[in-house]
Amino acid sequence: MKTTMVTEELIVNMGPQHPSTHGVLYLELKLNGEIITDCRPHIGYLHRSIEKIAENRSLVQFVPFTDRLDYLASMNDNLGFCLAAEKLLQLEAPARAQYLRVIVAELNRIASHLLAISTFAQDLGAYATPLFFAMRDRQKVVQIFDELCGQRLTYNYIRIGGVAGDLTPDIARTINEFVLYFRKMINDYDDLLTHNIIFKVRSKGIGIISKEFALDYAVTGPSLRASGVKWDVRKDEPYLVYDKFDFDVPVGANGDAWDRYSVRIQEMRESLRIIEQAMGAIPEGDPVAKVNKVFRPSGEVYMRTESPRGDLGFYIVGTGDVFPYRLKIRTPSFSNIAALPALIKGLNVSDAVCALGSLDIVMGEIDR
Amino acid sequence: MFKLFVDIWQGIVSIFKGFVVTGRSMFRKPVTIQYPLQKAAMTQRFRGMADLRVEKCISCLQCVRICPTAALDLTSVTNPETKKKALESFCFNAELCCFCGLCQDVCPTKAIFLNALYEVAYYKRSDVTAIDLMAPDKYAHVGVLAAGKGKP
Repeated sequence: MKTTMVTEELIVNMGPQHPSTHGVLYLELKLNGEIITDCRPHIGYLHRSIEKIAENRSLVQFVPFTDRLDYLASMNDNLGFCLAAEKLLQLEAPARAQYLRVIVAELNRIASHLLAISTFAQDLGAYATPLFFAMRDRQKVVQIFDELCGQRLTYNYIRIGGVAGDLTPDIARTINEFVLYFRKMINDYDDLLTHNIIFKVRSKGIGIISKEFALDYAVTGPSLRASGVKWDVRKDEPYLVYDKFDFDVPVGANGDAWDRYSVRIQEMRESLRIIEQAMGAIPEGDPVAKVNKVFRPSGEVYMRTESPRGDLGFYIVGTGDVFPYRLKIRTPSFSNIAALPALIKGLNVSDAVCALGSLDIVMGEIDR
Repeated sequence: MFKLFVDIWQGIVSIFKGFVVTGRSMFRKPVTIQYPLQKAAMTQRFRGMADLRVEKCISCLQCVRICPTAALDLTSVTNPETKKKALESFCFNAELCCFCGLCQDVCPTKAIFLNALYEVAYYKRSDVTAIDLMAPDKYAHVGVLAAGKGKP
């Protein structure tokens, strides 16, 4: 960078207690004036050694801990772990449970994306309105989960071999109502944010991730699709009953912050389509899993699913004991944040906040 | 030059659209409730504090074994003649509890369950680390227990 005025290099510590780092992320920024010349993310402030805890818990007991990984989309973490465990134990959940899992996973994707786009808008200066609108709609999803499994954040709903509770006609009606309501509501977000000139100018061209860069850094999820790579585990390696549904994989053109936001908005529309189809085709039966079974896993397995943040993988090694020998979790946020230093080099600090917010990281998942 | 005016016009329109969205919410009913005065009803499956129907417990220890955080502690005495176990003490550590609900799912007689209590404040730390589930008035100081939910 060519500057006429020479200023002393300044190191600014951003975080860990900073409102726009989305949790306890600590960025060590090297600044030349207002331009970021180097960035080192420091992680580990939320480390709870969940992978080690897994070595001292049976598979059934470990499901509540997966809630604490990605606390904004716990259903998807439950799902990823239970699918991995079922693959290892060669079990298959009843058909009704598989449909229910798809419904709750997509509902949770909507709730998670709502929070992602609204906090992103908040980082850009849209202080209260989008956040309150998103919280109002997220509350409806959370209320559905509350009726379905009894908790609003840490669900422990998807169990190995099924789910925790059956869908009642009341809850089914609430879900159908929500789909109709929210389809109209997304247009409000379009009017409020997507086409807003200030929002557009502020986020277009910021933090561009190119196709090659995204593939090199193993960026996954909406951040990858915004760069124009059409990769979705739901579509390319279908699990559960995703191959029975008709949905599109939205991709972006430039890979900038606005594209990542836009892909999330479009993904919510696709999720609504999946929920609608699943609610129409849900078969009868008993989806409830028995929790008092003792599993003795042996062998090793890797299973990946599409969580709202990207490619979530569970690697379990069992040696025939009740406890797994090793459990490795591949979390999407961890790979996505690895791209951050290269992403924000040369930007202003305020634009770095924009790039960070558009990646939609969750610290519980990075540190685990 | 012409494009600039188009851009400015489109920008003004986009901002006005946003005002319409926010303005519309003035005529909507508020979605919030006045919390300390009004309280939302807990759902049927809500998982609050652990609770026990003492007469139903058969001391099978399944809840103690499945608890992921070892929040439950149960002792029982075996009657030498009838070989039946009688509950001696049942201690619940709410500090360790993660409210996953595995204990109520595993219980064969539906003795242990998670009740509807959600605002639980205590004066002493021992009140939260060692709750005697066999005492009938264990949650008396935080209000009426379990009555709000009507679990089977």
